[in-house]
Amino acid sequence: MIEMLSYEFMQRALLAGMLIALLASISGTFVVLKRYSMISETLAHSALVGVAVGLVAGYNPLWIAVLVAILSAWLIEYLRSSFSLYSDAILAILLSGSLAIAVIIVSLGGAFNNSLFSYLFGSILSVSDEDVLTILFFGTLSLALLLAFAKELYFIAYDEEVAKTSGIKVKLLNFLLVTVVAVIIALSIRVVGSLLIGALMVIPTVSALQYRVGFLNTMFLSIAFALFSVVSGMTLSFYFSLPSGATIVICVLIIFVISLVGNKK
Amino acid sequence: MPIKFKIPIFDVKNLNFSVRGQSILSNISLEIFNGEYVAIIGPNGGGKTTLIRMLLGLEEPTSGSIKLFGKKLSNFKAWHKIGYVPQRASLVDANFPATVLDIVSMGRTAQRGIFSFMNKKDKSAVEDAMIKMDILNLKDKMVGTLSGGQRQRVMIARALASKPEILILDEPNTGVDMVSQRNFYELLAKLNKEENITIVFITHDIGVIADDIGRLVTVNQKAIICNNPKEALSCEEMSALYGIEAHLIHNHKHEH
Repeated sequence: MIEMLSYEFMQRALLAGMLIALLASISGTFVVLKRYSMISETLAHSALVGVAVGLVAGYNPLWIAVLVAILSAWLIEYLRSSFSLYSDAILAILLSGSLAIAVIIVSLGGAFNNSLFSYLFGSILSVSDEDVLTILFFGTLSLALLLAFAKELYFIAYDEEVAKTSGIKVKLLNFLLVTVVAVIIALSIRVVGSLLIGALMVIPTVSALQYRVGFLNTMFLSIAFALFSVVSGMTLSFYFSLPSGATIVICVLIIFVISLVGNKK
Repeated sequence: MPIKFKIPIFDVKNLNFSVRGQSILSNISLEIFNGEYVAIIGPNGGGKTTLIRMLLGLEEPTSGSIKLFGKKLSNFKAWHKIGYVPQRASLVDANFPATVLDIVSMGRTAQRGIFSFMNKKDKSAVEDAMIKMDILNLKDKMVGTLSGGQRQRVMIARALASKPEILILDEPNTGVDMVSQRNFYELLAKLNKEENITIVFITHDIGVIADDIGRLVTVNQKAIICNNPKEALSCEEMSALYGIEAHLIHNHKHEH
């Protein structure tokens, strides 16, 4: 562990990874409780469009990914609240649509290379100082917003209509939640990868739910599972030369299986 | 009888609601005053729930006006004055991570500021609501582990935690056994008489609560308001309302 921390790139990756674990698990708690787990997958694919544009046009892919993911989140929320379309169908349409656009952009721009793969599957080697700063800036802002409106988001997740009739600005807060989730997902793809971030957002909460404890304890358990998975996943990734994102996801999956079997009625 | 010089809690005028050209409710006018106990009955699909949803701003009427506490619905801000218990209230998702305290505390959410923890006033309102509903001993239990009747009381406690002036309940008896239903009706009558909370209650069990209610609103596309509910409970009228032959079984709890 000490040897691993002597490398600067590992310090950066661990800091970024732990921040992402914290953000993904807190936002994931609300997303899972709203039965909106698939939004993380869809937004991760939308963020890929931003990565593709960034790589081809020569801009910072992470910034463009944040922007495109936010626009996609707003489009999803607008379609969900304004048209009589099924939520899961909207997510499926945007997921494949985004991926198609991203593939065409990188194909036309000739950007099918290692750089793209690091965004698809995550790479601890590729986390730069600038990435850490970007994650710190947007991550702190997202965390502040989530904590400020945690009780409202919990009420909305429990019953959107009753929350509305009690005077809570449900529509605004739903937009806020998807925006924050979009930002967190776009930030996470550097470390975990766009194809795997959904797992870090959803599985820690689903594992925590198996313990059947109150809301705050569920959220704390979810944070603990996500942090443990990221640290153990990155450590294994370092010592056994495994891809970081996939190793993190395997760690969180093991926690899920233990939680599921251990709490079986 | 309503006292006419007061501002009504709900003032509904010429309300119409239609979906894709098909009329669901037509020309509804209704006033509900402070301290009343109003029951809304009618066949399934007759528009009872739609009417309540429009009163709460959950559905947009096709035409007509709704005023809450003298203010237009679009300008109304004092939502804490209204407690709403929807139809599916007692059908809680068993996996939702919530203790009884978590759920009842939700009733204070809109009155708390951002980042804020519950203050003394919030805590006292939540405890008070749990005492009224006799669920204080269940406060650390997970809601998913409770019986239908207990869940029903939790949902009403949540609505009461905001200290409402009116409680609107939409058939909250789904999944609740008969004994719990009986206790529940007694509880509503007590809230109305002792706490002066206005009750608007969608139900099919009109025979059971006929002694408690002050006015009856029958809704089947149109609304008919009866100021003496017992007069309205003739078999002929009930048969006309529901479209089938009706037999009424009256509650005799006050006759001995």
